[in-house]
Amino acid sequence: MKSSVIGSRVVREDAWGKVFGQTKFPADVNLPGQIYAVVIRSPHPHAKVLGINSEKAMSLEGVVTVLTAKDVPNNSHGVLFRDQPVLAEYVRMVGDPVAVVGAETEEIARAAAKLVVVEYEVLPAVFDPEEAMTPAVLPLHPNLRPTNVLYHMPIRRGNMEEGWAKADIVIEKEYSTQHVDHAFLQPEAVLAYVDERGHMVVQTATQYAHYDRGEIAHALGLRFSQVQVKTLAVGGAFGGREDISLQIIAALMARYTLRPVKMENTREESFYSHSKRHPMKMYYKTGATKDGKLVALEAKIIGDAGAYASWSINVLRKSAVHASGPYVIPNVSIDSYAVFTNNPYAGAMRGFGAAQTVLAYESQMDLLARKIGISPLEIRLRNHFKVGSTTATGQVLTGSVPLDQCLAKIAPYLERGGDSQ
Amino acid sequence: MIEINLVVNEKPYTLNVEPSERLIDALRNRLGLLGTKEGCGEGECGACTVIMDGKTVNSCLVLAAQANGSVITTIEGVGNRRSPHPVQKAFVEVGAVQCGFCTPGMVLSAKNLLDRNLKPSETEIGIAMSGNLCRCTGYDKILRAVKIAAEEGAK
Repeated sequence: MKSSVIGSRVVREDAWGKVFGQTKFPADVNLPGQIYAVVIRSPHPHAKVLGINSEKAMSLEGVVTVLTAKDVPNNSHGVLFRDQPVLAEYVRMVGDPVAVVGAETEEIARAAAKLVVVEYEVLPAVFDPEEAMTPAVLPLHPNLRPTNVLYHMPIRRGNMEEGWAKADIVIEKEYSTQHVDHAFLQPEAVLAYVDERGHMVVQTATQYAHYDRGEIAHALGLRFSQVQVKTLAVGGAFGGREDISLQIIAALMARYTLRPVKMENTREESFYSHSKRHPMKMYYKTGATKDGKLVALEAKIIGDAGAYASWSINVLRKSAVHASGPYVIPNVSIDSYAVFTNNPYAGAMRGFGAAQTVLAYESQMDLLARKIGISPLEIRLRNHFKVGSTTATGQVLTGSVPLDQCLAKIAPYLERGGDSQ
Repeated sequence: MIEINLVVNEKPYTLNVEPSERLIDALRNRLGLLGTKEGCGEGECGACTVIMDGKTVNSCLVLAAQANGSVITTIEGVGNRRSPHPVQKAFVEVGAVQCGFCTPGMVLSAKNLLDRNLKPSETEIGIAMSGNLCRCTGYDKILRAVKIAAEEGAK
């Protein structure tokens, strides 16, 4: 089949605007009469807000208002569960927003934010998900889950006893990964205003405009039809713009002041106001025969969801599904968990839970190869998925499975034993 | 306030700036040149790159007052749809543009290299672009675009 489209290069329509610097990102839009809003965030990972005194901040010339939890009609949002406050009375992580100040200029707003006095009752915090799983630790979201275990995904295939009986070589190791920030190049920015119809218009960079719209409407007590979200040039996201950051807070300020409201995060504020990649602790036990065939895998994966659920269930589900890698293993027992802690909340990020497990299962392959005395390439050739293979979750692969072609391309690298030799 | 005189994109300006005002603020807020982007505010990312007296600078690390008497080129002063700069043309054709937030700074760093050196080596291109981060990780195409622009320009 001949086509003028398939196989030919297409110039993306937004490219010219971007090379000339004409493209509008949210930081680039302004309205006459706009005010600036700045968020006051908790320095404590777990605390109750006992009181907020904004008298000093309000006395600063040019300050329009200071809003707190009591000013939010429905104080919750979230992609899977509405477990995240717009402005917190109960703080579950460093960086939880507790108040927002609106002022005539950004300088005044930033100065006023420093004058808002928040009194906290600091509570004991838990940072280790394995500790958070134990029954002795009080749950962070008792309305959602009786313990801090938000999610458990078990995968069982074959018979583990038989699998271990066939294993001539067993490698047992622990792996862990750390928090990662998307650090999309454009920090969060919003322009929110009430238009001539009385509708709330929010211009922002988001991966999820229709969800933002619903959460803004919910939190402010508006109908969907009264909220419009306009996505400007996104400026990088990588999963970090799937949750709400400043959208509701800006809209809240616009609703109270009836002035257009501009918000722009500094890079430091950006780190506090969006999700992170899940740190994972991965316990792996992998067995193979002496001729290099995988026979058994037992894996336990504990993902640190941090303070809020965000996409943790979907992320740790994906970790479980990908835990055996692209390899045929007849006997498998996988348990994947998402656990609440007082760490920054974790959510979507490139790979969505599949990336972390690569470290574990590929390291196991290299260690097995070394112990058996075959090359890293050979052990992969003997075990990789082909058309007709069955995965750990029981899926029979019928489509395109060109792993042999991928391996052929990197064969010289793998035969050398990677970069180390 | 401090009075400064500077030339931006071949136009002379006299501005009254705050002592603490950064060059990026003066360009964006006083001159409306919004193509200069702020990614980090501490000179790490290069999104705010402008050319000042023939050298690329992070405009978030230069005080507006320090730019007194200088000649500055921002992205608005480089090419247009009718006559794009070879760097801009190459970026579009190669696909070196993704989210676009780093693009103005990238284009200026590349242009400034080619203004000085029409036949840069790959190493020289790498060094010239090293102050500009692309979090979409599109570096390969960006470096390729600079190379193509250099070859086009050298013809």
